Amino acid sequence: MGLLAAGIGAGIVAVGAGIGIGMIGKSSVESIARQPEASDDIRGAMILTAALIEGVALIGAIVCILLALGIGGG
Amino acid sequence: MLRACRRLFVTLLLVLFFTPLTEASDKAAQDSEGAPIDVVGKVVDHHELAVLGYHVPLPRIFLVEGDFFVYSSTECAIESGDFVEKNGALMPANGAEITMDLSITSHLMYVWFGLILTVWITIAMARKYKQGVGRKTEPQGWFQNLFEIVFVFVRDDITKKNIPDDKYQKFVPYLFTVFVGISFMNLFGLLPWGATATADITVTGVLAAFTFFITQWNGSKDHWEHVFWFPGVPGWMRIILTPIEIIGLFTKPFALAVRLFANMLSGKIMIICILGLIFIFADIFGSIAGIGMSFFAVPLTVALYVLKAFVGLLQAYIFTLLSAVFIGMAAEEHAHEEGIEAHA
Repeated sequence: MGLLAAGIGAGIVAVGAGIGIGMIGKSSVESIARQPEASDDIRGAMILTAALIEGVALIGAIVCILLALGIGGG
Repeated sequence: MLRACRRLFVTLLLVLFFTPLTEASDKAAQDSEGAPIDVVGKVVDHHELAVLGYHVPLPRIFLVEGDFFVYSSTECAIESGDFVEKNGALMPANGAEITMDLSITSHLMYVWFGLILTVWITIAMARKYKQGVGRKTEPQGWFQNLFEIVFVFVRDDITKKNIPDDKYQKFVPYLFTVFVGISFMNLFGLLPWGATATADITVTGVLAAFTFFITQWNGSKDHWEHVFWFPGVPGWMRIILTPIEIIGLFTKPFALAVRLFANMLSGKIMIICILGLIFIFADIFGSIAGIGMSFFAVPLTVALYVLKAFVGLLQAYIFTLLSAVFIGMAAEEHAHEEGIEAHA
């Protein structure tokens, strides 16, 4: 059961992080195309926001690893 | 210097080529019970340092009910009769509880390597700048140029942008140490027999705790006002907002620690799993399938290896950047204006 939960959970985490980071990438590429001279600032903001999303996704992924390994009362 | 580095590199390659690889693989086969490859054993902390296929035991230090026990290795601890091995961990023979396990482990050694290298490089470069090289003249040699690029990057692009102008200088040393130290720790994991110290939650937790304490110590009056008495909202909203803000103080460094830890761990697990496919295929379908699989797995691993080197530097950058953002958010002082609009 733990393995099943970990697999489903990891999939959902990947979907969420994928949508989030994809939207960041889309809008930052659009804004760089509109205003190429601001690309440095936009890139910095993009990495920062992507890192924040990644943090949440990785916490989910760690929970899935713990489930799969059966650590933490599983 | 470049020639010396190249010579060192070639020597290292030759040494790696002639070291007893078979011994290492025998040991690995013994460690994993039945399974073709032991993934978790490769990423967890060990009480020995793997150097060129040999295993150098590291000291074990225990604090048992007020008494210190110091041994040069795990075997010594068992031979002395004071400790017995139970489920792969050491327990006192007389049934007492271990108060604290202060043993030196491989991850701790790699943290030290990274920090000693950082301190050594920085002091050497500081001496050069004190002599006037780089201040009165141009920086000399490729190494000083590289150092200056990294330092100016941390100072201008990370610190100055995120921390208010009148305070940023105090934080440049910390952020630079963290950036270079984490970069070294991440990249050490790519060396043969190396261990990634940052793929250990305790290491990243300590690093994040540094950021947490520095943030709180340098918090301005406005920072604490925003935590305990959020301005410009209806009074009853503060019942909800104050707990959220207090939790927010702790989740920021927690996310910082988990992000670095999970990134380095996942990179390592990915490489081991893809290389492990060779052994799994060889185990199930015979050695021919294993050889065939290696033509697919080895180029993929090379690509992942390059990606991991990039991710190592990127995560060091993200850790430093977010530390700077958190410190900057806490240290900032608002020009206070009455009304809700000022805090929108």
